[in-house]
Amino acid sequence: MGFGAPGGFSIGPSSVQSNAEAGLPFANVPGDLADKVERELGREPEHPPPDVTFHQVVGDRRLFSLRSFLRPHAWWLAGGALLMLVEAALMNIGPLLTQIGIDEGIDQGRFDVIVTVVVLYLVAIVVSAAAGFVRASVTGRLGERLMYDLRVRVFSHFQRQSLDFFTSEKAGVLMTRMTSDIESLNTLFQEGLVQFVVQFLTLVVITAYLLILDVRLAVATIVLVVPVTVVLSLWFRRAAGAGYLRVRDRIADVLSDLQESLAGVRVIQAANRRAQNVQAHRSIVHRHRLAEAATARAQVIYGPGTEALGVAAQALVLLIGGRMVLRGALTIGEMTAFVLFLNRFFAPIQTLVQLFNQYQQGAAAVSKLQTLLATESSVSESADAHDLPPIEGEIRLRQVTFGYDATQPVLTDVDLWIHPGEVLAVVGPTGAGKSTVAKLITRFYDPQKGQVTIDDHDLTDVTLHSLRSQLGVVPQEPFLFNGSLRDNIAFARPSASDAEVAAAVEAVGLDALVSTLPRGVDSPVHERGTSLSAGERQLLALARAFLAGPRVLVLDEATSNLDLASETVVERALDKVLEGRTAIIIAHRLATAMRADRIAVIDEGRLVELGSHDELVAAGGFYAEMYRTYAGAT
Amino acid sequence: MSTVAPPVVRLEPERGVSPFAPPSAGIDPDPDRGWLRRLWPLVASRRLALIVAVVTGLSSLFITIGVPLVVRATIDRALDQRTAPLAPYVVTLLVMAGALFALRATYRYLLFTTAYGVETDLRDLVYSHLTRLSFSFYDRTPSGELISRANSDIRSVQVLLAFGPLAVLSTFTFLFALVVMASIDIGLTIVAVATMPLVYFVGVRMRERIFPLMWITQARMADVATVVDENINGTRVVKAFAAEGSQINKLAEAAQRLRWAAVATVDARARFSPIIEALPRLGVAGILLYGGWLVIEGDLTIGTIVAFNSYVIMISVPFRLLGFLLMQTQRAAASCARIYEILDTAPDIVDRPDATDLVDPEGALELRDVTFRYPASVGGDDARPTVLRGFSLSVAPGETMAIVGRTGSGKSTIIRLLPRFYDVDEGQVCIDGHDVRDLTLTSLRHHIGVVFDDPFLFSTSIRDNIAFARPSASDAEVESAARAAQAHGFIMELSHGYDTVIGERGYTLSGGQRQRIAIARTLLANPRVLVLDDATSAIDAQVEEEIHRALETLLVDRTTILIAHRLSTISLADRVALVEDGAVIAVGTHDELLTREPLYREVLASVESRDGAD
Repeated sequence: MGFGAPGGFSIGPSSVQSNAEAGLPFANVPGDLADKVERELGREPEHPPPDVTFHQVVGDRRLFSLRSFLRPHAWWLAGGALLMLVEAALMNIGPLLTQIGIDEGIDQGRFDVIVTVVVLYLVAIVVSAAAGFVRASVTGRLGERLMYDLRVRVFSHFQRQSLDFFTSEKAGVLMTRMTSDIESLNTLFQEGLVQFVVQFLTLVVITAYLLILDVRLAVATIVLVVPVTVVLSLWFRRAAGAGYLRVRDRIADVLSDLQESLAGVRVIQAANRRAQNVQAHRSIVHRHRLAEAATARAQVIYGPGTEALGVAAQALVLLIGGRMVLRGALTIGEMTAFVLFLNRFFAPIQTLVQLFNQYQQGAAAVSKLQTLLATESSVSESADAHDLPPIEGEIRLRQVTFGYDATQPVLTDVDLWIHPGEVLAVVGPTGAGKSTVAKLITRFYDPQKGQVTIDDHDLTDVTLHSLRSQLGVVPQEPFLFNGSLRDNIAFARPSASDAEVAAAVEAVGLDALVSTLPRGVDSPVHERGTSLSAGERQLLALARAFLAGPRVLVLDEATSNLDLASETVVERALDKVLEGRTAIIIAHRLATAMRADRIAVIDEGRLVELGSHDELVAAGGFYAEMYRTYAGAT
Repeated sequence: MSTVAPPVVRLEPERGVSPFAPPSAGIDPDPDRGWLRRLWPLVASRRLALIVAVVTGLSSLFITIGVPLVVRATIDRALDQRTAPLAPYVVTLLVMAGALFALRATYRYLLFTTAYGVETDLRDLVYSHLTRLSFSFYDRTPSGELISRANSDIRSVQVLLAFGPLAVLSTFTFLFALVVMASIDIGLTIVAVATMPLVYFVGVRMRERIFPLMWITQARMADVATVVDENINGTRVVKAFAAEGSQINKLAEAAQRLRWAAVATVDARARFSPIIEALPRLGVAGILLYGGWLVIEGDLTIGTIVAFNSYVIMISVPFRLLGFLLMQTQRAAASCARIYEILDTAPDIVDRPDATDLVDPEGALELRDVTFRYPASVGGDDARPTVLRGFSLSVAPGETMAIVGRTGSGKSTIIRLLPRFYDVDEGQVCIDGHDVRDLTLTSLRHHIGVVFDDPFLFSTSIRDNIAFARPSASDAEVESAARAAQAHGFIMELSHGYDTVIGERGYTLSGGQRQRIAIARTLLANPRVLVLDDATSAIDAQVEEEIHRALETLLVDRTTILIAHRLSTISLADRVALVEDGAVIAVGTHDELLTREPLYREVLASVESRDGAD
């Protein structure tokens, strides 16, 4: 879902556009809105290309907090607060002026006083509207700027994290931090903080007006109104707060069940499970309904309750104030003002209590973001890291021991020397630690013991960027990004020329496919590339690696998901891509491994054999046994 | 939460049977009718609650309108003219407060629960319909789009149903208040309401600007989320290519565009809402000016000014709500259209009216001269290639047939035609001589078990995943299916054994383990016909061999079709069908084809050459 003006730096057409272009159903902007949306987008200026530089090491190590977040903008905030004060004071001046009009004008029969009062009132209305406009504009802009900074900051923090961060934390949680947590902070700032100040000032201003009018009636009114309203609001906050949480959990259940059912709809139909799944979903949606109804019970007591309370309070003010009027202790105008102010007195109290909820949500978001931003990457760049100079591609693992959980080593004392330009295959049973070797060479993880070097540079001494820009990785599941084929191929170097992209396409043999597409390399890839076959996706990943032109290429089971014919095509492309490079092939199938110069056999985290296919078969060890099983099966 | 006792559920033979009733009505099936008319059967099924809500709501309205009149009478009679005692007025107001509370609470509660009921029914109907739609629908519809419809669109219909009547009611407030005010003084009434049309028009202007801006903001939030989502899921690629910098700039670009839209929304709101707030106050000023003059002239009482003051504030609410109501109505209409679009989509594959059940089949399969193109393909109709043309193949009961061919030869398509995931364009697919289109889908799919090449597992326990097709299966049955699929060993090594809940989309299991669970799932269903779509590709040679050994015994009395990419899989088959360009080139045993068909040798050649390499 998205909408974007055409053009723009490296972001490509948004998903809605590409879905619409691809003729997918349900992909259009709602009809009546399309024109208006177009018109608004017409007013959008050309944004300057963003120029955020990425630093592996953070300069600012202070803890993230609401205060440190807002402090740099203290002056703007103070200005906003001043405007709010003006707004609140003038917005509530009506009853006061009405009182003066009644007592000094009507009662005395002086129309000129009424005219003066009305003119003053008009000025107050205009000034408070103007203050409101400036205030909303200022705080809104500031809020959006803060959100922009925060988005870039949190996202940059993600980029600094090592791979274990993304697997141990669930992707959904990270997504929540970047979206709803930042949003709730935005709501807290834009609505919460602003409303808090406005309502608080309104309350202060009205109380002041009431006290000016008549101290005794003011105290009586406050004693009658405030405690009941506060207690009712507190009760509602508790009851509804718990209810909202439950509703939110239930709707999350509904959506995740729906999402999973849609993802697995083919399995459901194939297994004749539809009836049962419909029933299960029915229970889930009804549980959501019951949670909603329970929350509604609190709402229907609170809303009408405060309405009724307002009427009752009027009755009591009329009773107390009326007696004062009858005694001659109060003018009718003053009592009228009390009655009129009363209606405005409830809203701020209610809002303030409600805001507390928002504050709690915002505070929860702040503390989650604080924890997130304080996470240290397990693979960090040392302070004096130097750039890795252009490498030959000689890789050594020296006495490497590593486990994802430090107490359970996956690799133990592995020594491996890969010569420049050599193609080395790593084989072994599932779970033996093959892929871990690849992850250490690319420094997705650091070994607990021993070291990994490239051209005699310890990986922990060089900058990550200089290291990885000379390494290429083709994973088992080639991940494709939303955008065009071209965006995906030129992923490592978005500035690559058309000729370079075309060369990469040709090198891996994708040119036949590209020439059948109506828009060639500019054709969109959508829904994680499901419109391409597994083989085509893998070829695309190879083209990506080819264009990056790394000295060292790591293939992590890159052909294991392919069928025979695609595998043949991919392996042919591979020959081209591997030319003149050091390559480490983590092989799932022996057929792939046999192409390598040498084969390293890993079993239970140890390097058990190393040599060419023929040598290892002749040696009659572990590999020979694997090969016999394999050859026997075929 | 539930008031229905859960143990009742457990006594049911099948798990997951809901204690809740299905929707009492559907939507009106006539697509030419208006959106509300089509929704009406769902609303009408709750008409009693609705009638009570309308009656109590209207009654509460009289009280709301009456309060300022009582206050006015109090001020004028008891305080100004002092012709009546104060206490009865105060008591009247307190009674009105009590009645107001009771009526409003009843009215709102009934309204809310009605709206929630309709929402729930819609969710139920949409889910039920979605799970009925054919594979071809899912081939071309992004699931994110469906989820957004099932979520925000149903929600916006619910919001309209819950709050729309409230807004309508406050419009009545306006009318009643107008009548009361006009009966007191027409001139002052005109002064008081003079700014109201402006409140409405400015409100409309505001929404006209803000609504599209909010839509853009929402879409751009989704764009930011997409960048983040891809970055998280593709983190290995990002890191491997040191693309962090360009990713951050991609995000900054999206965030910048979001910021523009959000600031534009803020600005539009900052411009309009102070005006909307100020307009009723102009009315108050007008009342003071004109009303004050009238009182001085002796034509009006002070209490009337107070009452008019209250009415102006009271009626500015409906004018604001009226705009909200119009907007929400438009939104709900658009949302309904989007929901109906789903509900009106007819499934391509349905039972024929005279369909019969497939009972105890022998398992003889036959494809007769089949021509097939996928219903819709990306790039429009031109890009719909013919996948199968004149495809004919017979498989005898109990036989194991391997299908071999290059990528794109159409071999995987065949297994989607057997359980009728798609229908053929020409020709016939038959089981035991019955055209599959003459059989009920349920009975057909009951007897055909499919293992997909991409094994999708649900995030429930391993046990529930294996017993997916037959939730009532005993633990012993589940275990024996798992053993047969060589999955029992690794399942027992997991922390909770069969009760281990599979993490996000099977993330915690390896590809090979997922495939074995998918095989166990199909084996437990014990189908007469088994179809394996290259189900062992992600499994290493040793485990694959073990599975094959288990399969050999399981395949004995079943008709089996294997989509094979490797010699090891082919060796399980009695016969092999060689497929090229959507047609069967040759059928025979592996050895026969090897000697007879040069193409077969060619397809297999790469395997052999690699087997004998170095």
